[in-house]
Amino acid sequence: MHGGDEQHETAIEPGFDFISPRFEEPKFPMHQVWGYAASLVLTFAALWMTVNRIMSPSVLLGVVLAMAVGQAALQLGVFMHVRESRGPAWHLVPLGLAFAIGIGLVGMSAWIMLFKSGVS
Amino acid sequence: MSSQAFTGGHKASHQELPPEFQDQEESIKITGFWMFIVTDVLIFASLFATYAVFVNRIASGPTPAQVFQLNTALIETLILLTSSFTIGIAIWAMRQNRQRMVTWWLVLTVLLGMAFVSIELTEFAGDVAAGWGWHTSAFLSAFFLLVAAHGTHVTMGIIWAVALLFQLRRRGLTTVTRRKLYTFSLYWHFLDIMWVFIFTVVYLGGRLI
Repeated sequence: MHGGDEQHETAIEPGFDFISPRFEEPKFPMHQVWGYAASLVLTFAALWMTVNRIMSPSVLLGVVLAMAVGQAALQLGVFMHVRESRGPAWHLVPLGLAFAIGIGLVGMSAWIMLFKSGVS
Repeated sequence: MSSQAFTGGHKASHQELPPEFQDQEESIKITGFWMFIVTDVLIFASLFATYAVFVNRIASGPTPAQVFQLNTALIETLILLTSSFTIGIAIWAMRQNRQRMVTWWLVLTVLLGMAFVSIELTEFAGDVAAGWGWHTSAFLSAFFLLVAAHGTHVTMGIIWAVALLFQLRRRGLTTVTRRKLYTFSLYWHFLDIMWVFIFTVVYLGGRLI
């Protein structure tokens, strides 16, 4: 670790551009307003699709789950400023790993329960 | 410090960063808080997996469709989405150095959080009064565990935010209070993400399986 007032820029390896920090501070919080509106639209759309059963339940579950992932991405990008960092945004790496493990854990648990035979 | 100071894009040097990132120690605490969120993602993943495994194990108890009221779940979702927006505006105001604005948007966030927890507790009390407690079936155990874990997080967040309001009043927008507000906002948005998944998997999913 270097001293707090040191001015050098941390070099980011090629291929690791996704961890380069970004900051945005506009005069009016337009991003937040759009993010809020988009999350409301996604919520009502998912609810409407479910109540009206516009397709077969298993496909619909996949669709509303995809919409939830969209909302999560919206929260992370618009509200959590996920790329803000002092140096390279290394927290993106373990965060991505945690989401991958989480999806694997939930997905495989749901999958294994599809087998009706065996332990119940 | 002008609000224009942070618009340097991704090549910003340390001097142009917002105060909570300019200070190395505080910026490390923000990274540390991200690591906490990483662990919390895994905790919620385990609870979601448990729910997925037990959702059909209703024993002699009610089915998900019988237990869940979509109206209530929708109101809870709208409250939490709105509170996510209000804390987002508070952080925006913080970057503009507008302390009064930060305070009021944070107060609004706390009130919305309290409304959410009250509605959730009313829902739980209604379920238990109907004889649908956590001991009724594996499905209800998993449901109460998952949703109450989220509700407990929100309750902790409310206590944290109230403490922050006092600190803000006493100390103003310092480097430290800015970092605390920033990590609180990360926590609150994270809870909103978890709720969106609960709404989708538990409440909407209850109508689809």
